Amino acid sequence: MSASLAPECNQVKERYDNCFLKWYSEKYLRGSATTDECASLFKQYEQCLSKALKDKGIDKMIKDARDDNRENDAEHMRPKR
Amino acid sequence: MKIFQQNTEFDYSWEEVSTSNWQKYGPWNEKTPHVVAVDTLSRNVDPETGILRTERLITCKQSAPRWLNQFLGGQDTSVVYETSYVDPANKKVTMCSMNLTWNDLLSVRETCTYSPVSSAPNAKTLFHQRAEVTAFCGGWQKIKSKIEEMTVERFQQNAAKGREGFEMVLEMSRKVFAEQRELLRLQQDSQILKQAQI
Repeated sequence: MSASLAPECNQVKERYDNCFLKWYSEKYLRGSATTDECASLFKQYEQCLSKALKDKGIDKMIKDARDDNRENDAEHMRPKR
Repeated sequence: MKIFQQNTEFDYSWEEVSTSNWQKYGPWNEKTPHVVAVDTLSRNVDPETGILRTERLITCKQSAPRWLNQFLGGQDTSVVYETSYVDPANKKVTMCSMNLTWNDLLSVRETCTYSPVSSAPNAKTLFHQRAEVTAFCGGWQKIKSKIEEMTVERFQQNAAKGREGFEMVLEMSRKVFAEQRELLRLQQDSQILKQAQI
């Protein structure tokens, strides 16, 4: 897995990434995912990352990008029949 | 505006490709050292459609030519915002990305998809990539065109490297999964390994 832009978050990120990959390949793709078992690891990673994003001023850029991305969401969150 | 697009096929199933896609810029890929970090910003499954939506932030070391980099302000890293949508029912991954750095001067919007190849849906996967590059700088048509041109050229170079690098990841991933399956099989057969709980 790749590193985090915030080196202090690398450890918790790796734990989360491994959890996610296992869930994705063993449960999600097989249609047997019921709960998000990586949620608590993600929360830890997110806490670490959001601080770094704020310090670097990237959080504001992300907010604008989210607004710009609404069309993509509308198009791709609906499956094609 | 200039457009870059390409199609390429991978000799791996859609399930393998879509799984390895999460590790595309990891240590198994030696061809894309310009990608220095990949962070997940959010992730959720839509309860109605089953679509997995992920937001990621991709950090790249700057590889723009020096004159262009200076023109754009001389930062050494740039960040890209990506949203991806995995639709397991229709076996389709869509990734949409846009540049966050220098986006007042240059807009790079890319959409990539992975879907099974219709002639061999269980063995091959089609990768489609399309990028739209638009430079904004007043009336300087020449500079505008030049920046767009160079960005598209960079895309072409990175697309070739990206493909080679992803092939490495796919190969390693298949090997590791096979080893894990083998270990699991041995574990089920062996009392000692069962106790060791590998």
